[in-house]
Amino acid sequence: MNVLELKDVTKKYGGFTAVENVSLELEPGKVLSLLGPSGCGKTTTLRIIAGFAAPDGGTVQIAGEDVGQLKPYERNVGLLFQDYALFPHMTVAQNVAYGMRYRGTPAAAIPSRVKQMLSLVQLAGMEARYPSQLSGGQQQRVALARALATDPKIVLLDEPLSALDAKLRLELRIELKEILRSVGATTIVVTHDQEEALSLGDEVVIMHAGKIVQRGAPTQIYQSPASKLVAEFVGRSNWFQATRGSSSIAGFTSYVTSDGVEIRAKSPPSDRDGRVNLCVRPEHIELMDSAVTEAPRDADHNSIAGVVLDVASLGPDVHVVVELPGKARFLAIRKNVRKIPGLAPGQCVRVLFSASDVLVF
Amino acid sequence: MTAARSKLMLLLPAVAVFVLFLVFPILMVLNESFHTFEPGRIGSVEGGPLTLANYEELFQPVYAQYFAQTYVLAICSSAISIIFAFPIAYCIARTEFAWIQKASISAIVGLMFLSSLVRVYALELTFGSVGVLAPLMSIMDINTNSRLYINFVILAGLLQYSIPMSILILIGAIKNLNPRLTEAALSLGASALAAHITVTIPLSIRGIVSAFLVSMTLGVSAFVIPLILGRGRILFISNLIYSRFSEIANYPSGAAISIVMMVLALLLILVMSRLATSLERA
Repeated sequence: MNVLELKDVTKKYGGFTAVENVSLELEPGKVLSLLGPSGCGKTTTLRIIAGFAAPDGGTVQIAGEDVGQLKPYERNVGLLFQDYALFPHMTVAQNVAYGMRYRGTPAAAIPSRVKQMLSLVQLAGMEARYPSQLSGGQQQRVALARALATDPKIVLLDEPLSALDAKLRLELRIELKEILRSVGATTIVVTHDQEEALSLGDEVVIMHAGKIVQRGAPTQIYQSPASKLVAEFVGRSNWFQATRGSSSIAGFTSYVTSDGVEIRAKSPPSDRDGRVNLCVRPEHIELMDSAVTEAPRDADHNSIAGVVLDVASLGPDVHVVVELPGKARFLAIRKNVRKIPGLAPGQCVRVLFSASDVLVF
Repeated sequence: MTAARSKLMLLLPAVAVFVLFLVFPILMVLNESFHTFEPGRIGSVEGGPLTLANYEELFQPVYAQYFAQTYVLAICSSAISIIFAFPIAYCIARTEFAWIQKASISAIVGLMFLSSLVRVYALELTFGSVGVLAPLMSIMDINTNSRLYINFVILAGLLQYSIPMSILILIGAIKNLNPRLTEAALSLGASALAAHITVTIPLSIRGIVSAFLVSMTLGVSAFVIPLILGRGRILFISNLIYSRFSEIANYPSGAAISIVMMVLALLLILVMSRLATSLERA
């Protein structure tokens, strides 16, 4: 049975539709990421599930029970807030114990459960501290322990890592995933951070303007985005407006961009009016010095001449901006490893990428 | 001149004004309170001996009655105004609509501008012995001339000040509270009432204490309200001080009563802030 089922949930604020006909279901123990830009309705969806906002239409079921009429405290939903919302006047132990008092944990069992939760989040021994005496990462763990302590049917995480600095974010993301898996929590993560969404979620739901635009496994979302919108939102891309050219070889169609560059791509399943948007991910691109003789091309390959404009080394990756004919700019991301020879601005290069890696919308 | 010294120099004018117009006059009152009074004179005997008689006199039961009368009503009005002001302030502070917030704050501030004399006579016209509600009171067998009834009318007069003042103070305190804290409590299973008792109220205890103290100040120092609504049967300490100074010109006694009131006020602040600190960490 699904732990959570939303059916055609709609929420309006005045004339603004925040959430429109959103349907979702979630199996026990799964982690679902709700990803979208700010204002896409993901937080409203979360607030509807938690009971802080009442939907104008549709139904919400938790563990098979329609919770539409239930107050937030009558639904057993664990919530982790973006700013943690720890009670500043209570100790760590009191914070973690707070929910148990109301969710029917016998008073005698509370101290041992608090201990258990705090060791789960690696904060054993911190019981007597106040939230103000903890670091951001520690506060986040206390908030997680507090949310999980009542053994909620669903755990809702609202931008769980966004208040942390980049390095800590990565560490806590891995830890968060482990903790959620170890307690088998059915979880919804709401975030605008695609890395967070793709790494935490077993499945990712992309929302835009109040609607779900795609749902799928993280790799599927990235590799086969359902629309231009999803492709734009997830990952970096080079975009070209193009029209269908004359040739079509071995299942590949040739397109001509508005700057006159020829790019081969997979033929789209249904042929539209011939105007398309082509998307090339920067990490699918190989750059080769023009002086090096080119291997013979097969139908799958694109090869475009360009000039290096800028090279930026960002640690593990090197971002290279190449100017193509017609002044179009192209971003290529290469690994920062010794075996790939460096490039310098002004250098003439060939931009190589497989036609099957080109996304057509 | 060092930066710290020039900062101190900048403070000097303000400190001078404070000392000249506040500290110095109070010291004069303190000085007067230790002087001897002879009936028939205006003020103390010049060059007379210093004495504690003005303070000793206050231990007579008749004075205790004045103090009890004043403090009981002031404490009642402060407590009642917190009880009424908190939910109103909470709604105003947490409303989704900015215009509701602005309109209510303007209305409350506007209310405070109304002259105390007008408010007091408005109450007298409504609840007084010849007020419009007097027939209703007599039907309900309520004696509008009883001491208890007059106490209630004075209490109503005090609440007219303390409720709006408390609302304004509490709005500030509640607005400083992260609304997510209440939501966190609700999501953890606390009912709305439990969330208020365990989270909202403890975290706004400083504001509650401030509102209580300001209401107490208004209540204890009330002058016009008991003067008119008390109909001479109930008098506050302020009325007593006034009569000492103006009617019988016993300055030393009036000064001694004033000093006692000031000491009581300081004690109250001390106790309340201790209480707030202990409640915050409860």
